[in-house]
Amino acid sequence: MEVQGLGKAFGPHRALEDVSLSVAAGEVVGIIGPSGSGKSTLLRCINHLEQPTSGRVLIDGVPIADPGGREPSAKELAALRRKVGMVFQSFNLFPHLTAVENVMLAQVKALGRPKQEARARALELLERVGIADKADSRPRRCSGGQQQRIAIARALALDPRVMLFDEPTSALDPELGLEVLGVMRELASDGMTMIVVTHEMHFAEEVADRIVFMADGRIVEEGPPRQVMRAPRHERTRRFLRAVLDR
Amino acid sequence: MTTAVLFAHWPDWIGDLSGGLLESVKLTAAISAVGLPLGLLLAMGSSLGPRPLRWLSIAVVEVARGVPALVVLYLVYFGLPQAHLTLEAFVAATIALGFTMAGYTAEIFRAGINAVPDGQREAARAVGLRRGQELLYVVLPQAVRIVIPPILGYVVLFFQATSLAFAVAIPELISRAYTIGSSTFEYLNVLILAALLYAAIAIPASQLVDWLERRRDRLA
Amino acid sequence: MSSVVDYLGPLSAGIGNTLLITFGAFGIGAAIGIPIALARSARWRPLRMLGVAYVELLRGIPPIAWLFIAFYGLAQLGIRVESMPAAVGGLGAISGAYMAEIYRAGLRAVPHGQFEAGRAVGLTESGLYRHVIVPQAIVTVFPPAMTYVIGLLKDSAIASVIGAQEITALALGEQQQSFAGLPIFLAAGIIYMAIGLPLGGISRWVDVRLTRRLADA
Ligand SMILES: Nc1ncnc2c1ncn2[C@@H]1O[C@H](COP(=O)(O)OP(=O)(O)OP(=O)(O)O)[C@@H](O)[C@H]1O
Ligand SMILES: [Mg+2]
Repeated sequence: MEVQGLGKAFGPHRALEDVSLSVAAGEVVGIIGPSGSGKSTLLRCINHLEQPTSGRVLIDGVPIADPGGREPSAKELAALRRKVGMVFQSFNLFPHLTAVENVMLAQVKALGRPKQEARARALELLERVGIADKADSRPRRCSGGQQQRIAIARALALDPRVMLFDEPTSALDPELGLEVLGVMRELASDGMTMIVVTHEMHFAEEVADRIVFMADGRIVEEGPPRQVMRAPRHERTRRFLRAVLDR
Repeated sequence: MTTAVLFAHWPDWIGDLSGGLLESVKLTAAISAVGLPLGLLLAMGSSLGPRPLRWLSIAVVEVARGVPALVVLYLVYFGLPQAHLTLEAFVAATIALGFTMAGYTAEIFRAGINAVPDGQREAARAVGLRRGQELLYVVLPQAVRIVIPPILGYVVLFFQATSLAFAVAIPELISRAYTIGSSTFEYLNVLILAALLYAAIAIPASQLVDWLERRRDRLA
Repeated sequence: MSSVVDYLGPLSAGIGNTLLITFGAFGIGAAIGIPIALARSARWRPLRMLGVAYVELLRGIPPIAWLFIAFYGLAQLGIRVESMPAAVGGLGAISGAYMAEIYRAGLRAVPHGQFEAGRAVGLTESGLYRHVIVPQAIVTVFPPAMTYVIGLLKDSAIASVIGAQEITALALGEQQQSFAGLPIFLAAGIIYMAIGLPLGGISRWVDVRLTRRLADA
């Protein structure tokens, strides 16, 4: 996957400026940075939940939308988003559906899989994230950690080429966060391509192949986890890490 | 029919219709003067009164909300004379629509009273206020602030409902429009003018209500 | 002098038309409320203004005026509309404005994250609304919509002024024959309450179900 010169402005405010990033198949990229630095905006632009103002995103060499050109059609967008799985900070499970129905919905309605097949796949995924027993419960009956794991299963169900995680554990108690991080660790070791925005520095250092540090809508520096986190080249990165690690 | 024809007689009618609009506004004021105090009483009766009074208040509210205003109006205007109480049309309309308004606003007042936290009442008692004082100085002032926007919303709604007084021949706005229509057969033209006069009051008024509501929610 | 009970039978003959007006108007309003709500929140300004104008005018002008326009006003243009269709159509047009606002409130009550999540899993816009948004919005839409139906039941009495033969018109007819207004209009009131109270009960029952369905398995 390739991000080329992505920019996003909200009115006069520039949330992203000329962000380029390429992610190899099977690579895990961790994105860190202070609040408001544009991390969420970057992820949301990658799957066009937010229409980028400039730049483009390619998956397997195919551009998702023309640079600054026409907006992609609803059909194209839907097709693109099936290649990109997204996990939100606040889970955003569908409250009127059970866990297994949450995982089935897009398989049936977006991919057109037969119900039986979708259900089998959903159960398999719920098993994989360790909550097969909650298959028929509604989200409100599940703990936060369980909900986030259902959300991961929901995203995986479309067999995406890349998974985006936006602070998947920051709404969770530390203990419940561990369940989710465990699932993500396994995904990574199974070879899933992942971009993870996180404040969990230890997790980022351990699981990511590369760390990207963002500030003020730009990528300030990137590199192997050890180097970025132990020997950052930029003052801005050092300041951020000091503030985080002091806590 | 061209637009020119549509507007042709508006200058001739506007005077008469304005008189009707004034009558509608007067009726609105009279209805509110009956309906709002009665609504507040019913609300206090149904949320604070002793049990029999509570049931009675609730029953009155249910009837006032359950029966169409037009039927209540006919009942007062045509029915009460049978009980040897003949009322002038304006008075009948005031009583009938005031009764209906009381039913609707009682619910609003009640919600307002219930929205005042229990702690406020306990605090009032703790500083030695008697029950009546507690209500008057602590509960109601807070409740009224909460309910002002929706209550004004009902006033606007009942300004429109004064058009029901057409049925008992009060010369308010829609009656006059109808009379002009039936003598000139220019129903559409005169009805549109009357409709616009209603809208000219009701739309800004309800926008004001929305604004008050937003402001209240922002301050809360 | 005759009593209230004597009038219940004759006036009941109007129940059919009363219900026809109530639910006919509601059906129209529920249907046209959707495009009006969409227009009202459209991105294209002229369309949005049109939606706003519709909602404000239909709500800002009393129902009687609309029924007169539909019945007498259109006749002036040579368009003859019978009193029942004029009543159903007129009140239906008004309902459209109110339902549009109810729909909008329902949509606003669905958290933004639900739209994002639906899009993120690759649903098309229509799939998003069908499978994710509407099932949730319905819980918010249902109670005010039912309150509105019960309001319409009472507003249907206004149809009597253009001659629709519903409960109130029949009562007025009896009054003109016997001048026994007291029992006649009491009977009419009782019939309206006998329809309205169960309607309220059913709506509360459905509301509890809907809310529970959303709350847990
Ligand atoms: N819809 C929007 N409209 C206007 N401004 C926005 C919008 N979304 C984000 N922004 C702004 O863009 C900037 C980047 O926001 P973003 O959410 O991407 O930051 P973040 O790095 O994810 O921060 P956090 O760590 O707090 O989640 C912020 O200044 C934010 O205020
Ligand atoms: Mg963020």
